[in-house]
Amino acid sequence: MKVAETVETKPWTADATQVIQFPAGLLGFENLKQYVLMGSAEEAPFFWLQVVDEPNLAFVVVPPSAVVENYTPELSDEDVDFLGLSSPEDALVLNIVTVRGPTRATVNLKGPLVINRRTLIGKQVIPLNAAEFAVNHPLAVGE
Amino acid sequence: MLILSRKVGESIIIAGRITVKVVRVEGDVVKVGIQAPSDVPVHREEVYREIQNNNREALTSGRPAIPKLRPDPASSTRTEVRPCECHSRTLNTEPNPQTINRK
Repeated sequence: MKVAETVETKPWTADATQVIQFPAGLLGFENLKQYVLMGSAEEAPFFWLQVVDEPNLAFVVVPPSAVVENYTPELSDEDVDFLGLSSPEDALVLNIVTVRGPTRATVNLKGPLVINRRTLIGKQVIPLNAAEFAVNHPLAVGE
Repeated sequence: MLILSRKVGESIIIAGRITVKVVRVEGDVVKVGIQAPSDVPVHREEVYREIQNNNREALTSGRPAIPKLRPDPASSTRTEVRPCECHSRTLNTEPNPQTINRK
């Protein structure tokens, strides 16, 4: 399933009371399974994906449409089943950003987070076409 | 590490629910078929490690400032991402072919 073409570009209004479940955790953080998505107008288009159990910990994430064009990760049937996606419109795609300094940041296009908007079940997937994408794609940030 | 010898077509069963089968051997490339339940993630190790390391670098503590995205990120960064030309469901684009089958 191609998920990116129909992903909304408008900001996603996250309700902080809605917990997003990552039953498999994130790669390297398999035990961190519950997150909330939070954002502010000043930090747009970036959001914080905050760990529920340890609110001090968070990932910076961004909708890929805000930073790259033609990003079309191809999900395996297994991931589609795992996420319970019945149509591409159900998928919210977010990519993890690494802030490396005041003027340096990269985005991980190789391991996107895909979240079912209806069930709020998410997974960090490795798309079938992951070889096409960089794990640390540079972002145009800073002055 | 447990080391087992297997011939083409022979399998290893792990925990009664994961089967790893030697599908083909071509020179120094071994094609492996894996059957695992959908709750068991199966990844090529080098890709898994790359993303795992990136996640560790990305995790923040105490909300550091996020640099502002420049208004028009066009030009340089955008052209670096190639559109996906591969819509195939096979995994043959990678150097070490591997068949992933699941039930």
